[in-house]
Amino acid sequence: MDSDDMHDANDVESLDDDFYSGETEDAPMDDYSDDYDDDNNNNNNNDADDDYFDDGADDSAQSRSTEINFAILKESDIRDRQEDDISSVATVLSIPPVAASILLRHYNWNVSNVNDAWFADEDRVRRKVGLLEKPVYENPDAKELTCGICFEAYRPSKIHNASCGHPYCFSCWGGYIGTSINDGPGCLMLRCPDPACGAAVDQDMINLLASAEDKQKYDRYLIRSYIEDNKKTKWCPAPGCEHAVNFDAGGENYDVSCLCSYSFCWNCTEEAHRPVDCGTVSKWILKNSAESENMNWILANSKPCPKCKRPIEKNQGCMHMTCTPPCKFEFCWLCLGAWSDHGERTGGFYACNRYEAAKQEGVYDETEKRREMAKNSLERYTHYYERWASNQSSRQKALADLHQMQTVHMEKLSDTQCQPESQLKFITEAWLQIVECRRVLKWTYAYGYYLAEHEHAKKQFFEYLQGEAESGLERLHQCAEKELQVFLSAEGPSKEFNDFRTKLAGLTSVTKNFFENLVRALENGLCDVDSNGAATSKATSSKNAAGSSKGKSGRGKGTKATVSSRLTDDNEWSCEQCTYANVGSATACAMCNQERQ
Amino acid sequence: MTSSSTSSRKNLSKIASNRLQKELVEWQINPPAGFNYKVSDNLQRWVIEVIGAPGTLYANETYKLQVDFPEHYPMEAPQVIFMNPAPMHPHIYSNGHICLDILYDSWSPAMTVSSVCISILSMLSSSPAKQRPEDNDRYVKNCRNGRSPKETRWWFHDDKV
Ligand SMILES: [Zn+2]
Ligand SMILES: [Zn+2]
Ligand SMILES: [Zn+2]
Ligand SMILES: [Zn+2]
Ligand SMILES: [Zn+2]
Ligand SMILES: [Zn+2]
Ligand SMILES: [Zn+2]
Repeated sequence: MDSDDMHDANDVESLDDDFYSGETEDAPMDDYSDDYDDDNNNNNNNDADDDYFDDGADDSAQSRSTEINFAILKESDIRDRQEDDISSVATVLSIPPVAASILLRHYNWNVSNVNDAWFADEDRVRRKVGLLEKPVYENPDAKELTCGICFEAYRPSKIHNASCGHPYCFSCWGGYIGTSINDGPGCLMLRCPDPACGAAVDQDMINLLASAEDKQKYDRYLIRSYIEDNKKTKWCPAPGCEHAVNFDAGGENYDVSCLCSYSFCWNCTEEAHRPVDCGTVSKWILKNSAESENMNWILANSKPCPKCKRPIEKNQGCMHMTCTPPCKFEFCWLCLGAWSDHGERTGGFYACNRYEAAKQEGVYDETEKRREMAKNSLERYTHYYERWASNQSSRQKALADLHQMQTVHMEKLSDTQCQPESQLKFITEAWLQIVECRRVLKWTYAYGYYLAEHEHAKKQFFEYLQGEAESGLERLHQCAEKELQVFLSAEGPSKEFNDFRTKLAGLTSVTKNFFENLVRALENGLCDVDSNGAATSKATSSKNAAGSSKGKSGRGKGTKATVSSRLTDDNEWSCEQCTYANVGSATACAMCNQERQ
Repeated sequence: MTSSSTSSRKNLSKIASNRLQKELVEWQINPPAGFNYKVSDNLQRWVIEVIGAPGTLYANETYKLQVDFPEHYPMEAPQVIFMNPAPMHPHIYSNGHICLDILYDSWSPAMTVSSVCISILSMLSSSPAKQRPEDNDRYVKNCRNGRSPKETRWWFHDDKV
C-alpha cells in the first residue's frame, strides 16, 4: 500500500512536468490553425482586452473563444450534405452519381481528395475502386447464359452484371448482396463475386437486387460512413442522440454543444472540459478509475454534521448545508467548516478550495517521513477529487432543477406573480449559468491537481481565482435555489419579486463574466503570473486573463493572493489589493475592480 | 462472408444441393490434377485425396482434405481442413486447420471446391520448408473443444508461401 502511494507521489511530479512541457499531447492543432497565424491571434487578444474593460458589458467575452466553428446536423442535413458532395463530384468528373458515391467512400468523403486523385491518374483510381470503363468479360450472344454462382442457365433478361460483365442471376445477386450487407459496413465496398475481378457493385445494383430490409441497412451504413469516415464530422456522443457535428478548422476552442443540449469536446469526445486540455482530462479520468475503490465514500451523499454528528443528507445543489432542527448548524459541505466563516459576510476569503498539506517539519525519521508523504499524496488527490465530484453532482442536481423549473415552476410562477413567462427568462438563464459554471469549476479541480507544486505564485493566484469563482457561484446558486423558494410557495404577487429579479439577473451576469475570464486565464496557463519576474512575450500577449467581480469592493481583509513581483513594463501596473498585473490603459483592476492608486 | 458454426450441421438448402450436384458432375468430367474424390452418398461432406506435386517438398505424399458444406453454400464458405496427419507446412496447423484467406474472409460464391483445391495445392507446392506455424501449439490448444477454423479470427500469414 505504502509503496503504491509512493509511486503515486512520483507520478504527480512527472505528470506535472508533462503538463507544462508543451502542447504535444494536444490535438493536431496544425490541421485546424491554418487561418490563424500569430498576428491574428494577437489581434484577437487585443480586441478582447478592449471589450474587457467596458464596464458591465454582458457579452464582453466575444472573442475567439466564443466563435461558432461547428454545425449540428440532423439526419436531413446529413443527407443533404452527402447528396451535395456526391453531385458535386459527379459534375466535376462527369460520372454518374453512384460512381461518385463509390469514389467518395474510398476517399473518406473528401471531395477535393477525390478530384485531385482522379485528375492525377484516372486509370489508377478507376482500377483501385473498381469503376471499369468497359466490360472485361463479353457475354456470348446466346439465348442462354450461365450464372457464375448457381451454374444454372438463364435467359439474358434474368441475368445481371456489374460493369465487368460477369453474369449472375438475380437470385444469386440477391443472396450475395444480402450476405454482405448482413456482414457489416464492408458491404459499402462490395465487388463483383468473380475472385479475379474487382468491379464495384454500386448503389443502383443494390436498389435493384437487394431486399427492402437489406436496402434499409445499406442506407444506414452509407449515412454512418459519411459521418464516421469523414474527418470533419462525428456523432454526438450523448446516449440516444442521433445528431452529428460538423467541425470547421480554425480557432482553438474544441467545445461543441449539440441540439440535445449535451456539450462535448470535439477533439477527445469527452464531456466539454474547458479550461483544461484533453491530455489533462484523460490523465484525470485514468487516475479516477485507478483510485475509484478508495474514493467511493466521497460519492456517498451523506456526511456527519460537524457539530451534532448526525448524518446529513446532501439534497441540494449548493454547498451551504443546514443541519436539521434542533441543531440547525450551518456548515460547508466541502470543508465541513462553519458557514459563517465563508464568503463575504465576514469579509473572509473563501478558502475551502485550497489544499494545505500538513506541514509538520523536523523530527521525522526517514521511514516515517516517507509514510507521511505517501499519505499526503492520497490525501491531496482526495481533496481535489472530492471537490471535482461535488461540483459534478451539483451540476447534475442543477440540470434536474432547471428541467423542473421549465416544466413545472415557470407556469405556476407566472401565474402567482402575474408576469408573462417571457419576463421570467432570467430564472432559466440563471440556472443555465449555474450548470455551465459547475462544469467549469469541476474541471478547475483537475487543473489544480496537476498544477506544479513548486510554482508557488501560480498556485496561489490559481487558488485565489478558484476561491472567488467558488464563492461567486455559491452566491448565485444559493439565490436561485433558496431565495426563489419563497416565491414558489407564495400565494400571490410579492413586492420583493422585482428586487429578486434584479439580484438574480445581476449575479448571473457577474458570475458569467467572471467564469469566462477565469476560463481564459487558465487556458493561457496563468501566464500573467511569472514567478521569475521575467517579462516574457507570453506574459505581455495575454493580458486578457482576468475576472471582474463587481460589487465586491467591500472585501478587504483575509488571506490575499500574493503574487510575486514581476518586471513590469512602463505601462503595466500591479493592483494594490490583489497584485494582478493590469494593462496600462486600465483605470481599475481587471481582477478585483479596485481603483488604480 | 463468415458463417456460424451451427450452419454447417444443418442440411443443405435446395440452392446449395443443386449447386453441389453441378460441381460434382463437373469434377467427374474434369477433375483437378493431383486430386482424387470417390463419390459417396454424403453430398455435404467430401473427403478428397491430395497428392503432393512432383518436384516439391511433398512429392509422392498423400494427404486427405475434409470439406464440409454449410446450409447456405456457396454464399457461405465451406469448411476445409486436412485430416490427420496434416502436412507439415508453415500455414497448416497440426490439427488440420489451414490459414488461407479464400477459406474465410476472401471467400466468394463464384469459387468452387475445385478452385479451392487448386489454391491449397499451390500453397503446398510453394512451401520452402516442412515446418509448423510458429504459434501452432498455442492455437491447437485453443481449438481443443472442437472449434471450427471458421470461428477463428484469422490473421493471414504473408502470401509469399
Ligand atoms: Zn466481374
Ligand atoms: Zn445464379
Ligand atoms: Zn446530441
Ligand atoms: Zn478534449
Ligand atoms: Zn447538526
Ligand atoms: Zn468550506
Ligand atoms: Zn485587484
